[in-house]
Amino acid sequence: MKLKTGSFLWCLYLDKLYCLLSLRNMRALVEYFSLLDPHRHNTMNDMMFYHFLHHVTNWNRKQIMKVFHMLDWEAAGEITFDQFYVLVCLLLAHENHLEEQFIFRHSRHVFDLLDLDGEMKIGAESFRKYDFLFNIKKHELREFYRNFDITGDCQKHLNYKEFKLFTIFTMDKYQEKQKVEKKEEQKALLEKKVKGKAKEKLLNLNYSLSQVLKQMDHI
Amino acid sequence: MEEKPFKALAKNDSVKLSSKSDIRNLWTKATLSQPKLHGLTNVYEDSDQEDSSSRNKPGQWYRRKTDPGRASGKWDDRNKGSIPQGELNGPTLEQSPNSFQRNHVEGVQDSGELDSSVSSLNIMKHTHHRAYWEEQQDRLPLPLMDLMENEALEILTKALQGYRAAIGKDHILTNQLQRKIEAIQKRSRRQLVPE
Repeated sequence: MKLKTGSFLWCLYLDKLYCLLSLRNMRALVEYFSLLDPHRHNTMNDMMFYHFLHHVTNWNRKQIMKVFHMLDWEAAGEITFDQFYVLVCLLLAHENHLEEQFIFRHSRHVFDLLDLDGEMKIGAESFRKYDFLFNIKKHELREFYRNFDITGDCQKHLNYKEFKLFTIFTMDKYQEKQKVEKKEEQKALLEKKVKGKAKEKLLNLNYSLSQVLKQMDHI
Repeated sequence: MEEKPFKALAKNDSVKLSSKSDIRNLWTKATLSQPKLHGLTNVYEDSDQEDSSSRNKPGQWYRRKTDPGRASGKWDDRNKGSIPQGELNGPTLEQSPNSFQRNHVEGVQDSGELDSSVSSLNIMKHTHHRAYWEEQQDRLPLPLMDLMENEALEILTKALQGYRAAIGKDHILTNQLQRKIEAIQKRSRRQLVPE
């Protein structure tokens, strides 16, 4: 998923730690939401929702409607500002590659959203259905179901506690990945510096050699 | 009677104001000195008790936005270039954010009181920073509003086509949407042509 460059959402800043908007940003979002609410119901219907997401993201119709049905779990045919806010935070998290962080911070919300049947259990299907939204990879899912179905009640269903464990696990992985990336960056920088210094030394040596040769010629 | 502490504070701060030329420093100072203004806030709260009809309830800013009449009125004010008196006098360094918000909501009614109480403050100093203050206090930055409106207009126009195709052009919802688009277009036109 890619957010449209220069769109309003592009201007919002998502807190990287808590994956939430500041109050000031939220106020701007309220204003934006009210602009997209021509019927003054303080809601957004499916048509408006589709055109909004179609405008700001590169999702297709099918994906957009999937997201709408996920948010509109009461089947009211419209979403409120609260749901819109969650969606915007999710979009921004996706854009900033903070999906793991978002799922970890808002595990309860994410669990409720993925629990499509309201059975307090998430099936593998739900994950697959919304993998474009949470960016959960297939091999991670397999590993997840193999390792975290502690209760063993249903092979392909996880309750909230198991899901919470999964979020902690993915968060650890994410942090490890970040550490490795940082180390690699530092290594690359060090190598650059070392190379630069070696070049300088070589140049100095060349210069001193040439001077010695000149002196020899004079003699 | 209620204005006394406010005046005193205004005088004190006016001395500080003259010493610092950078408006951002003033803002920081004002924010830092909030706990000191606790008494002042209390005074305002007392005065609110007398005039409970115009009291700002918690969370009103959100409801206020949802009130269509209020929202449109706000826009009209901005488009006419007539910033509410409370905001013009507004550097309101001496006021707590609550009192400012209350002021904004009450609008012109309170402006008289403020005029007298802030008279000691040299307001002209801050006229250059009016846009900055507006942004800092209660409103969204103007370029952001423009961006929002333009984007919303594009989305609404596409939605209108969808409405027409799905429920017909004479449907009440289609008409509402049409009116909303026209209102936004009018606003942006007014902004482009200053009076």
